[in-house]
Amino acid sequence: MKKVSVECRNIRLSYGGTEVLKDVSIHVEPGEFFALLGPSGSGKSTLLRLIAGFNRQSHGQLLIDGKDVGNMPPWRRNIGMVFQNYALWPHMTVWDNVAFGLVERRMGRAEIRDKVQAALDLVGLSQYAKRRPNQLSGGQQQRVALARTIVIEPQVLLLDEPLSNLDKKLRVQMRQDLLALQRRLGITTIFVTHDQEEAMTTADRMAVLDHGVVQQVGTPATLFDFPVNRFVANFVGTMNVLEGTVRERSSSSLVLAVPGVGDLQLPLAGEAPQADRIAASFRPHTVQIEMADGLGDARYVWLPGVVEASEFLGEFTRYQVQVGDQRITADQPHLAGLSPFPVGAPVSIGLEPSQIRLLAA
Amino acid sequence: MTFASDSRLPAGPLLAALLVLAFLALFLIVPVGTVFYSAFVNDDGSFTLGHFGAFFAQPLMQEAFFNSLYVAGWSALLASLLAVPLAYFTVRFEFRGALLIQTLGVLPLIMPPFVGAVAMQLIFGRSGTVNLLLDDWFGFTLPFMEGLNGVIFVEALHYFPFILMNLTVALRNIDGAMEEAAFNLGSRGFRLFRRVIFPLALPGYVAGASLVFVKVFDDLGTPLVLGTTNMLAPQAYLRITRVGLEDPLGYVISVIMVGFSILALWLSARVLQGKDYSTLQKGGNSIRRRRLGPGESVLAYGWIALVLLLVLSPHLGVLLLSLATVWSYAPLPDGYTLAHFEAVFSESHGMITNTLLYCGLAAGVDVVLGTAIAYLMLRTRLPGRQWLDFLASAALAIPGIVLAIGLLRTFRGVEIPLTGTLVTSSWLLIMIAYAVRRLPYALRSCVAALQQIHVSLEEAAQSLGAGRLRTIRRVVVPLMAGGMLAGFVTSFITAAVELSATIMLVTRDSQAPMSYGIYLYMQSAAGRGPGAALGVLAVIAVGVGTYISHLLVERASVRTRPARNEESA
Amino acid sequence: MPTIRTAVAAALVAACTPALAGTVTVITSFPKDLTQAYKAAFEKANPGITLEILNKNTVSGIAYVRETPEGQRPEVFWASAPDAFEVLGREKLLAAAPQAANPNVPAKIGDYPVNDPNGLYMGQALAGYGIMYNTRYLKANKLTPPAEWKDLLAPQWFGHLGMTSPSRSGTMHLTVETILQGEGWDEGWRTLLRMSGNASQMTERSFGVPDGVNNGQFGAGPVIDFFGLSSKYSNFPVEFVYPTETAVVPANIALIAGAKNPEEGKKFIAFALSPAGQELLLEPKISRLPVLPYKDLAGKIPPGYPDPAEIAARSKVRFDADLSQTRYYVVQALFDQTITFRLGELQAATKAIYDAERKLGEKAKSGQAAELLEQARKLAWSPLIDAKAAADPELLKAFSGGKKDASASQRVSQLEGQWSSKAKANYEQAAKLAHQAAAL
Repeated sequence: MKKVSVECRNIRLSYGGTEVLKDVSIHVEPGEFFALLGPSGSGKSTLLRLIAGFNRQSHGQLLIDGKDVGNMPPWRRNIGMVFQNYALWPHMTVWDNVAFGLVERRMGRAEIRDKVQAALDLVGLSQYAKRRPNQLSGGQQQRVALARTIVIEPQVLLLDEPLSNLDKKLRVQMRQDLLALQRRLGITTIFVTHDQEEAMTTADRMAVLDHGVVQQVGTPATLFDFPVNRFVANFVGTMNVLEGTVRERSSSSLVLAVPGVGDLQLPLAGEAPQADRIAASFRPHTVQIEMADGLGDARYVWLPGVVEASEFLGEFTRYQVQVGDQRITADQPHLAGLSPFPVGAPVSIGLEPSQIRLLAA
Repeated sequence: MTFASDSRLPAGPLLAALLVLAFLALFLIVPVGTVFYSAFVNDDGSFTLGHFGAFFAQPLMQEAFFNSLYVAGWSALLASLLAVPLAYFTVRFEFRGALLIQTLGVLPLIMPPFVGAVAMQLIFGRSGTVNLLLDDWFGFTLPFMEGLNGVIFVEALHYFPFILMNLTVALRNIDGAMEEAAFNLGSRGFRLFRRVIFPLALPGYVAGASLVFVKVFDDLGTPLVLGTTNMLAPQAYLRITRVGLEDPLGYVISVIMVGFSILALWLSARVLQGKDYSTLQKGGNSIRRRRLGPGESVLAYGWIALVLLLVLSPHLGVLLLSLATVWSYAPLPDGYTLAHFEAVFSESHGMITNTLLYCGLAAGVDVVLGTAIAYLMLRTRLPGRQWLDFLASAALAIPGIVLAIGLLRTFRGVEIPLTGTLVTSSWLLIMIAYAVRRLPYALRSCVAALQQIHVSLEEAAQSLGAGRLRTIRRVVVPLMAGGMLAGFVTSFITAAVELSATIMLVTRDSQAPMSYGIYLYMQSAAGRGPGAALGVLAVIAVGVGTYISHLLVERASVRTRPARNEESA
Repeated sequence: MPTIRTAVAAALVAACTPALAGTVTVITSFPKDLTQAYKAAFEKANPGITLEILNKNTVSGIAYVRETPEGQRPEVFWASAPDAFEVLGREKLLAAAPQAANPNVPAKIGDYPVNDPNGLYMGQALAGYGIMYNTRYLKANKLTPPAEWKDLLAPQWFGHLGMTSPSRSGTMHLTVETILQGEGWDEGWRTLLRMSGNASQMTERSFGVPDGVNNGQFGAGPVIDFFGLSSKYSNFPVEFVYPTETAVVPANIALIAGAKNPEEGKKFIAFALSPAGQELLLEPKISRLPVLPYKDLAGKIPPGYPDPAEIAARSKVRFDADLSQTRYYVVQALFDQTITFRLGELQAATKAIYDAERKLGEKAKSGQAAELLEQARKLAWSPLIDAKAAADPELLKAFSGGKKDASASQRVSQLEGQWSSKAKANYEQAAKLAHQAAAL
């Protein structure tokens, strides 16, 4: 099967009077597992449906394998789509559901039989071939939906929130299965999700959308470590932000006056925006937390604070610490026997300069 | 759902819409328009209100007008009297009679009123069973069936289920919290019912009552069979058949009847609009049910027994008549025989065949049109598609006799191409009249069925390579099948007992369907028995059909429930 | 899909075949029992011809023939009332069919010609008019079995009669004309008004009266003889009598002009007039009188079956069909406006008069009470227009004018409205006077 690229160039789409997609340009490499990530209302599903052919853009082009398909109806695009509610036909058996696309292509009976069998084997549902969809569990239905699309060997595979209807444990299992399947078949895949963990764990690259605008495109690590703006920073993982004015600036350090906290002396590990107001952003897991009277490791910048809340999450304990006027989230890895800091305890927060991203405020 | 295509107005849906529109135009809009036109136009074509003037000037016509309103109004009232307590019992009380009431809600509807009317004469008439007994035992009689009373009685007994059903649903949808809040504030008992519960259920009641009003106002068969002609529908019929198709008064009456139908339906829609009092929220309960105290029990069961007896009387009467040798001036027939059924089976299979043919074809046409309109409405973005729904549903407001008159007038002298027959002499017109008037029912079924199908099921098919038509064939129609079939059955059984349009359109005995056949049979002394036998068959057919329709809808809704989204592996 | 299409096409073709040759369509108001018998017998004797029945009452039948274009019309018109045939003949809607006639049919029955002098229609059966009553009903209400029309005018019959209107029933029209011609215009109307005053209901079709008597809804009513006789033979508890004021009038059969299959239509007419066709009339369920004299049907006449020749000889009335036909519409309109649509008021007036008579007893015969009652009776039971006015050519012309003539139909509407209101006023006044008398 040939691997094809999918490209959106300056796509604009309006619904009624509202502009839902604003000048969206995305390039998906052949064979890539690409995620569209964003909150609800961001336009990610709309974009996916546009690629499938159920929406029509008002401006811009959609190219699949270099060819403009903007005017092609869905049934000619050779795109497979797995819907959020699976859309399995209740009046057909699992077998008939999967065979549907092949029947449409007027394939021979023997050929259909072989392909359907192969697809069902691939997703591990061969013994359910004669069942009806309403006799299957959610996870099984999702696999049938998958089988139904891959059996026609589409150029592009589109997945619309495929895991959101499953419970947590199943989701974790399924996302790896999905990834493995995609690797095996090598189909260019675009999938839509609002769950950043899902996107990060599976995607080769991902695009973050907000209100119809692409915020950032890149690998999960890039987006996580180097978000270009606060939206991406907050959306992909949790981010602490300390906003302040620049007091002093030198080639190797920066003094940031954060109201209610005090002056922060930050050695510059990378570049810093030239603005006067800067947001110092850092992830909770990079924050150290110790009893207030402890001697801080000099590598870190220490700030005094009080524990306001703590949540035990198993692998780590998440603390909300009040530092002056600001609330900082700190994650402390948990080992058996380690007791948490009680609420109200005075603590010291340690920030690691190399892990602080300085963004324009 | 729209998708990329190369023309602004997709060709397929547009063609379908135009065909549907052509059908509605030719067989609904033009005939009704002709009727309206004729009522307002002189011989020379100029506009005139003179015909209306002539109508209102004639005392007979004034009387007919008033009588129709009177009968329709009182029928609605009497029907309310029967239905409201029953609805209240079902919803308010812990009640083993609930199933009974449900049956009561269906039984009257399966017996066409004009069939029951004859039997009611025998039971409640001047020398009927009840009055003979009353006279014997107590020395007085009650004028149940005298003049307009007879019409009111028969109609109310037939149509009260409309109010019962609508009201019950409305009452069930009231959140129990409403009542509890009222309790809290000190209201209870009848005051509570009057001040809180009934007003909340009012829209449901109004919907049912206005429907009863319209249907009684338009009914031709019952007054005709009971011999009451000083009402609008019989007068229109008499004038057009006796004086001829040129008689302007017939058209004036038609316009008035249509006007009132539309008024009543619009009124009920207005009252319901924006007053969706179904306040039942997720997790909320309906009104609390109480247990019946002993005194209340007696009252309740007593009332139900009375209504049940009344409701069953036409059925019993027809059954007795079909088995009776002679029934004259006596509470019960002199003797019993199966000869009438034999006569029916040997002589009337032509009529049964006709009914199957006309009603089957009409129902088929309705389902096709209904599906097309439902699909166009719910799945395309064709401009003005709401008009298709509106036009098709407008047929509800057109009385059968008006449509028949319109069709006769429009197609007068027109021959079916390639044969030598007049359209008005062939049974095609009968079938078309049935199809047009039953379309709203089939349409509602199809719309309901299509609404249950999530659009993603079609999108999935399309993404796998099926074009619109193939998607419709392979996915939409099979999933709609239950609803379509239910619509077919509803169309069929309501057409099978239709008399108003049939009387006007049947031109020869061999064309007669069962409904007309029954009417014909009732015209001679020896024919009463076979007529009743045919009536019994019709009732059984309708009853069975209704039951099957319910089953189909139940089964369909179970099947199309969205795929389980459970969270186990 | 294709199979459905061909099936529908086949059905369509099949639907239209009755119109092809080999079909005789008959418009008739006769009931199913009769038409069924004729259909079976005729089709048996003439394989290849199908008989189609259009069941329409007389007036609707005329309208139907008039509105169907030539070449498309039914073949045969077959009805009881000769007036209808007169109307059709005048409008040139009938065609002569002398070859179908049966030479054994006598020229007259009593004084009445059996066939049309112009040859446009022929008598096929004979019927008399009389009173049918329900024996159980009479017994239960202690009524004496009637023998003459006048018997039905007695106060004891109040609310026990069933009647219908001449505009709805050709046979009722004939009964009305028989009474009018037998007793004279004024006296005849008095009888009709009083009889109607005693009626409980005006039925929609002529069948409503015998039907009502059959199942005991009314005690008695004027009916055409075969309704009464056939019910009796069907074991209903009813009896039928011919009053001396009766007419034996032919039910006619005619070929419609501009019919589709006139040749085959003639065959049916010939059949109906043949001994085989005439014998069918004698079946108990049908109970009609044949036009062929009894000597030609010897051996087939059931015992006790009425003899039309004898009844006609006994009758006091010399029925004048021309007179009846000239004032056809006037009589109908007068009856409807003053009786049918004013039945409630007429009944009230009648009741008031009876009540007063009963209450006053002897006092009703003289003095002021008698005067008041006499006045009341006159108001309630006199025709609105006298014989002379009824014969006025202007009036007759206005009523015979077609609907197209706007001024004529307006005049008719006006007159009808006048009659209706005047009648109402009269009856209400009569009731008032009667109440006054009763209070004395």
